[in-house]
Amino acid sequence: MKYVQTTCPYCGTGCSFNLVVDKGMVTGVAPYQRSPVNEGKLCPKGTYAYEFINSPDRLKKPLIKKDGKFVEASWDEALKLVAEKFKSYKPDECACLASARVSNEDNYAMMKFARGVLKTKHIDHCARLCHASTVAGLANIFGSGAMTNSIGDITESKCVFIIGSNTFECHPLIGRRVMQAKAKGAKFIYADPRYTPTGKQADLYLQFKSGTDVALLNGMMQEIIRNGWENKEFIQTRCNGFDELKKEVMKDDYSLENVSKITGVPADKIKTAAEWFAKSGASAILYSMGITQHTTGVDNVKSCGNLQMLTGNLGRPGTGVNALRGQNNVQGACDMGCLPVVYTAYQKVIDEAAQKKFADGWKFPDGIAKGENGYEVTTLMNVLTEKPGEIKCLYIMGENPMISDPDLTHVEHALKTLDFLVVQDIFLNETAEFADVVLPAACYAEKDGTQTSTERRVQMWRKAQNPPGEAKGDWEIIASIAAKMGYGAQFPWKTSEDVFNEMASLTPSYAGMTYERLNRPEALHWPCPTTDHPGTPILHTEKFGMPDGKGLMTSIPFKWPQEVPDSEYPFVLTTGRSIWQWHTGTMTRRSASLEREEPTGWVEINTEDAKKLGIADKEKVKAKTRRGEITIPARVTPDIMPGVVFIPFHYAECAANVLTINALDPVAKIPESKACAVKIEKIAEVK
Amino acid sequence: MGLFDSKPAIKAGDMVYAWTLEDQIAQKAECGGAVTGLLKYALTNKMVDAVLAVQKGQDIYDAVPTVVTDPKELVSTAGSLHCGTLLIAKVVQKFQKGSPDKKLAVTVKGCDLMALHELAKRKGVNLSNLLLIGVNCGGTVSPVKARSMIRDVYQVDPNTVHKEEIDKGQFIIEYEGGHKGISIDELEESGYGRRSNCRRCLYKVPREADLACGNWGVIGDKAGKATFVEVCSGKGADLLQKAVKSGVIATTPADPKGIEIRKKVEGAMVKLGQKWRKKDFTALKADLWNTIAGETSRCIKCYSCIENCPVCMPVAGNGTETKSLMVEQGALPPSPMFHMRRFAHISDSCVNCGQCEELCAMDIPLALFSHAIRSEADLAFDPKLGRPDYSN
Repeated sequence: MKYVQTTCPYCGTGCSFNLVVDKGMVTGVAPYQRSPVNEGKLCPKGTYAYEFINSPDRLKKPLIKKDGKFVEASWDEALKLVAEKFKSYKPDECACLASARVSNEDNYAMMKFARGVLKTKHIDHCARLCHASTVAGLANIFGSGAMTNSIGDITESKCVFIIGSNTFECHPLIGRRVMQAKAKGAKFIYADPRYTPTGKQADLYLQFKSGTDVALLNGMMQEIIRNGWENKEFIQTRCNGFDELKKEVMKDDYSLENVSKITGVPADKIKTAAEWFAKSGASAILYSMGITQHTTGVDNVKSCGNLQMLTGNLGRPGTGVNALRGQNNVQGACDMGCLPVVYTAYQKVIDEAAQKKFADGWKFPDGIAKGENGYEVTTLMNVLTEKPGEIKCLYIMGENPMISDPDLTHVEHALKTLDFLVVQDIFLNETAEFADVVLPAACYAEKDGTQTSTERRVQMWRKAQNPPGEAKGDWEIIASIAAKMGYGAQFPWKTSEDVFNEMASLTPSYAGMTYERLNRPEALHWPCPTTDHPGTPILHTEKFGMPDGKGLMTSIPFKWPQEVPDSEYPFVLTTGRSIWQWHTGTMTRRSASLEREEPTGWVEINTEDAKKLGIADKEKVKAKTRRGEITIPARVTPDIMPGVVFIPFHYAECAANVLTINALDPVAKIPESKACAVKIEKIAEVK
Repeated sequence: MGLFDSKPAIKAGDMVYAWTLEDQIAQKAECGGAVTGLLKYALTNKMVDAVLAVQKGQDIYDAVPTVVTDPKELVSTAGSLHCGTLLIAKVVQKFQKGSPDKKLAVTVKGCDLMALHELAKRKGVNLSNLLLIGVNCGGTVSPVKARSMIRDVYQVDPNTVHKEEIDKGQFIIEYEGGHKGISIDELEESGYGRRSNCRRCLYKVPREADLACGNWGVIGDKAGKATFVEVCSGKGADLLQKAVKSGVIATTPADPKGIEIRKKVEGAMVKLGQKWRKKDFTALKADLWNTIAGETSRCIKCYSCIENCPVCMPVAGNGTETKSLMVEQGALPPSPMFHMRRFAHISDSCVNCGQCEELCAMDIPLALFSHAIRSEADLAFDPKLGRPDYSN
């Protein structure tokens, strides 16, 4: 029996634990107290993160669909088929989806494969669905699209403002830091349509209508400016654009009274929030999908940035725009260039110098993809349905769009137009059902590698057991396909460390990292440009990453969500997570300890609304939107705002994304998963 | 020397100074290396199949439980790590689950030993397959907290510290370019120092082990060069006797003055424990229900308090919450009954090991609650599984 220290495969917090390994098999999880992130503490998903690993459902052999049925195949047969098919398409007829669930090494390999082997410009992953607005929004105003501060320094905050994040359930060990700050005297303000377990700990709760974030934030900024609480020195020395911002937020539209009408928050609470926030001395914003998953996602993100620049809350401990990244390695997958517009470390594909750097570095004899932006995954789905035949082939690694993407009927339609679909995963998920070839992959416990948490901390995964059957690590599979296609020389790696070193040599923010340096409990936060650089826990301490070093304040007018309630669809539907499940449930629904706590979905509805509809708690109801309908048990509670309903998106049998709208932010192309119009119907009793 | 055979047989109750005669261990170990020497003897001579010890991981703050089957590797487990807050009893339980018939030698602190005894009462471990080398423990410091203490109070970069020890009431560090000691009282007054459960602990010399080892009471020319060993069982006597006979361990009777000093140190530690107990429990008394209600209101039901508790015995795989009339499935924060039923379950067996509190995702002072409940219950009621052999 031995303990193998590793990092958690679920959310972006980056907790560590030990995997207990007995006779070569993972049998449990044990605390790893030395981790500076979680000090041995875990949320329930961490506590039971071993349960799915040796599930009998794990994919153990490649599968090839023959006459509509999956048939087990040898690796040789499967790889040969995949290589032949891939070779038969023109570059831009192919697209790849990388994964926020796998390692940096796996993602780098996929990025190189897409742009070097397939030579397609179309590569993206599910960051599109969670923090695309953060990446685009913050890069635009600060010059870097990531969480500005570190998790530990949240405890130094004097005022924590959480908007659009149910931190206790979605980033529990960050929730702990908020409570530590509160125990030291910090004020805690919480804004969300749901009075969540997080909100119940707040000193001030702002229950507001989903999608009215910009109005709320502009209202707070007007109140701050009106009282002269803005940080004039910070604005003057470190920011541009104050006049434009001021012109917008001082409009009468954002008076306390008007904002109260738009958001549903009493004016005095907005006033108190503005005062606490502006005057604390160190105020932090924490946000997540509630801010990003809107057609105004980028606007929402920029507004958070505006508030922090206005009050001078950047570049110091206990401050910052703390975008809580959802998945274990969504930060890393973005850093690895698994986005249609950038190579690693956000080096733009349209920048000729960057394109040359990668072409020269990779040495493909026949060049790499053109230096043009490709399709985002959400755009890709639209192209598949609207221009069938343009994209013929899709290679998906570790993603499950058939549950995770908006408007699932549309996604199904899109996937069915494909000529050839390869899915590489650890389980036969809902998306894999549509595949022509399924390749069995190793899970986090079965490989070495690195992942990058929300605080830009790059930490190790360490192999604890062998993959089941013939399953293999993702980068190994990718390299084998490349070799079959004649590019073995470009994928010569023997270990994940080889992959990492190649990546780091092309990636300025990772250039100073090595496995030796990362194999420490503290690991390293990027940017870490040189081997003697200590890493950067807090960004923007002296200047911003903008060309002139100054943060950019912008004028953001409030816009309503794309689809607002009307007489036919009178409620706002918002979606989200439960602490017990993970996203599309492939892992957690195979973890008995988690699944038994929340074994199916529910629609949360306010007590008064339920009364009007004659709906009782636990009663099965129909939820309908213009996209589709599901049958789902009601959860009647006073904790959700009247007029708003909530459905967790984990459950295939009552999938929230059957209902959601495929309306996109114009810049980030993120879908509006947090607001659409829905009706709730009582199901007629069967007599 | 050289006349071991003529010495009377070692028996339970004996107190000796002991040290290893193996150079390799002596160089690496502290206080004469008797513990490592004895473990190595037991493993080499097949008295046990494996040794469970704690090894330095990535640095001195990282204590890694390690199962050793090759005697040569044991030297890497020599030395103590005060930032190791592991509960070895739970590791033993995991080991025995996979290897129920293997004999295992284990180094144990007081809390490990108490936990093993409670586990054994509930058939969670099999004591007859264990050889227990007890080590005195004055308390441990959580690793991350220790690092911030060294940075903030000692004003020393924790990465440069290569040794820490607790001696004469001080937490002492050695680092590149110097050493520094600060009294534990002073550290604890400012919110650092040992875990709060350790502060309240009254079980400092683990006499229910087979041997109880430590450095308290080693005086004269043996100070720092030998381990004080109290023989606590026939099994312990047998091990020591054989190790001495085979020439890997040497002993000399403990100096009577040393025995007195050891007793005094133990007494002082217990007194300090009682002081903390009084402080913590009376503070809790002031507003007991509201404190428990307030603190547990941020519970995220991570199950760490149950999974890491040595005396929690959850009914396996029955989906408790589907049957409970009071604790709803999934709901956060859980109903107060989620905590109440656990407090009741462990009320006469909480050993104050502190794992529930240290590993609580929301820093709820759970060990304080359950320790207070048990202490009060012990005064008022006879425990259902009988009075334990230890006293805490």
